[in-house]
Amino acid sequence: MTNMPKVRLKPDTTLFADWRRRFTERAEWRLTEHFFRAMFDFGFLNDLAADSFKRVLIGSIGGFVAFGFLLTRAYMIKYALLWSSGNSEMYRRALLGDDMTIIGLPMLLVAFVTLIVSQSLFPDERDFRILGPMPVRRIVVFRAKLTALLMFTGLFTAAAHASLVPLMILTSMNPWGDTNVILRLASWAIASVTASAFAILTITAVVGVLVLALSRSRLQALSTVMRSAVLGSLVVCLPLVSHLPTLGGPLSRGERWMALVPPAWFLGFQRLMQGSTDRALSHLAIVGMAVFLVVAAVVTATYVILFKHFERLMLRPAPMSPPWWRINRAPLLSRVAPQFRGVSGFTMATLTRSDLHQGVLVGLSACGIGLATIFLTSSIRLSITASIVPFLLMFACGVAVRAALALPIEHRANWIFQVTEDHATRRDQMRAVDRVVLMYVIGVPVVASVPVLWMAIGEDALLAGVVVASIGLVFAHAVLLDWRRIPFTCSYLPGKRFIGHSAIMGFAACLLFTVISSGLVRIALVSVNQGLVITAALLIIGYWLRERRLVAWKRTPLMFEDEFPDQLLQLQL
Amino acid sequence: MLEARGLTKRYGGFLALDRVDFHVRRGEILGYLGPNGSGKSTTVNTVVGLIDPSAGSLWLDGAPIADDPVAYKRRIGYVPEEPHLYTHLTAIEYLTLVGRLRGQTEQTLATKIPAMLQLLLLWESRYATMAAYSKGMRQRVLFAAALMHNPDLLVLDEPFSGLDVTASLLFRTLLRLFAAGDRMVLFSTHRFDMVEKLCSRVVILSKGRIAAERDMAAFREGRAESLEDVFVHTTGQDDFTPVARQILDLMQP
Repeated sequence: MTNMPKVRLKPDTTLFADWRRRFTERAEWRLTEHFFRAMFDFGFLNDLAADSFKRVLIGSIGGFVAFGFLLTRAYMIKYALLWSSGNSEMYRRALLGDDMTIIGLPMLLVAFVTLIVSQSLFPDERDFRILGPMPVRRIVVFRAKLTALLMFTGLFTAAAHASLVPLMILTSMNPWGDTNVILRLASWAIASVTASAFAILTITAVVGVLVLALSRSRLQALSTVMRSAVLGSLVVCLPLVSHLPTLGGPLSRGERWMALVPPAWFLGFQRLMQGSTDRALSHLAIVGMAVFLVVAAVVTATYVILFKHFERLMLRPAPMSPPWWRINRAPLLSRVAPQFRGVSGFTMATLTRSDLHQGVLVGLSACGIGLATIFLTSSIRLSITASIVPFLLMFACGVAVRAALALPIEHRANWIFQVTEDHATRRDQMRAVDRVVLMYVIGVPVVASVPVLWMAIGEDALLAGVVVASIGLVFAHAVLLDWRRIPFTCSYLPGKRFIGHSAIMGFAACLLFTVISSGLVRIALVSVNQGLVITAALLIIGYWLRERRLVAWKRTPLMFEDEFPDQLLQLQL
Repeated sequence: MLEARGLTKRYGGFLALDRVDFHVRRGEILGYLGPNGSGKSTTVNTVVGLIDPSAGSLWLDGAPIADDPVAYKRRIGYVPEEPHLYTHLTAIEYLTLVGRLRGQTEQTLATKIPAMLQLLLLWESRYATMAAYSKGMRQRVLFAAALMHNPDLLVLDEPFSGLDVTASLLFRTLLRLFAAGDRMVLFSTHRFDMVEKLCSRVVILSKGRIAAERDMAAFREGRAESLEDVFVHTTGQDDFTPVARQILDLMQP
């Protein structure tokens, strides 16, 4: 008897191993594996940085799991109160809003992830050139690309949903016996996965249309801008998702504007599967399905067109004329140092054309807009929030511009900066960096916040704007602390510090900066004289710090290789 | 004259260059020949200032370059082995960047860049970013970038890889004329034909050491054994027939 299972198992195992071997040795699987791995490769990291990036990724997953538990813990308190209230109507309303949130969160996450790998969504010129001469059919390449995309997005979709299962179980429990937990879980899983698929398809459709419509070189900048705009919109959606739990009321009243909230469509779908006969929810479900089909049709059409005209689309001739925005451009003033102009032009060209760098700049800056939106839509008085908003934006813009300038673009091409490094002109090169940072950390917050300040405090907004700009001048020093790189030319090691440590330090710095700066604005607004004194003091400090920085840059060699901190981690609080 | 005196480079325990001495005279193209891993690229990177030697020194016109490395860098042009450049820029933008980094005026750049692109047959592609360029086109851009500031010394690391026949012929002639103008060329390669056609002298490197140094006139006049023979003997290369046979055997199903 004891030998029997062994006799039975042996041929099964061999069969499985044989099948597995035959499957994994197929060209299609090899290609899928290659495309899947390429989605984790951002192309700008060297081996040391790639190892470091893995640590960051693991840290982020840990953070995500912790967030799931934190959310469940917070909802425990909320639902304990709802159950003890004895009001079933209140529970049902809250459940509508929370279900929408539980659908909306994975949608946003997978949309982010899909956008990050948007370069790999369709076979590109490199695939065409490398795989074209190989004995692999085009259909195999396309199938492998699609499978890799499904695996990648599926991984994140599954992880996001798995982390929300405890919350879903928690919200399903109630003393009124309202729902069948299994049915609710199953309908949520189907509706929410459909919602996530919708998010993936929408991003794929946008990228697909860009790939088909824009030529390789001419409109590359426009394509980059559009991707960044989508990324920025997604980041700004974050505070909107945090408002979803409050939308249970409008949903239960069947308000028509709910048709503009995508997670509501799939909530309608979920409730339909649970057997709901609510007309408003059914209407939402129909809208959702219709939009889903349209987006799926666009994606299918893009893949089919690309498949049929792959050569023509990939081998478009180089443009023979300059883009319209460069025609008749006035020549630059000749008094500016050539080295300043060189670094400045290189920085602007890279920020305009590189998806990665512009994405980091826009994405992180949009975090500031998101935070500002949360404050502006809160119940705090506008006069208070208006003085906080510029500094939230300024902080986010500072972090964004530093991060974008620190990431390399083609690290091995930086030899040209190394062989031309000259202490006599280094100051001019770094002055270009200083200019970009100053323009961004002062310009964007001032332009964006003066209208808000005007609404809150009227004409005083002009004085407040001047104070905000002066604070920006000082803040730029913090952004450029220890900076000694030409933008995009130094290698980059992500995760030099423990991710939790960075998050705490970042939060503390943002809080301190916002509180002190908004306090300064309020003091400056007490009287014009007081405002002018504060502005003058800030300008003097800012100017002094800037001069010190320029002198230091002249003395310090440029940095081309990023380094881990050589001391043990200290909290430095 | 450029002189390398006892140039040594260590990477941890690995000795990449071991007390290398050579010199390049004005008006001369010095061939720097060696098998893969012999230390050619390490020498080139040291000469252009991308890496510092562990020991030894470089001298230009009788003065150590360590005294004023920036002034030295202003006098050299460099074409690297691989066309590593910023491919999101157009050729005009890249050459403008390089020119500005070297302190050239806008007027000079406005005259030189279009002329250079036309001569190097890149004018038609001037509005395309270099991501769309072939390796040969990128190599031509690098040649233009190395020559625009009128250097004294040109350092070339396998510059002809990827170039088509026309461009190769053009650059061969260009290098001859460049050196004839009392300037210096250090030409690192593993191609005998190029060394034979271009260089005045050749230094053969093996395992980080100078294995031989010859005047090319002797080869051209048939007074010495062929360059290939000298290379095979001095670098200790074996007869490759057995290896070639093994490869052919492996090809069989």
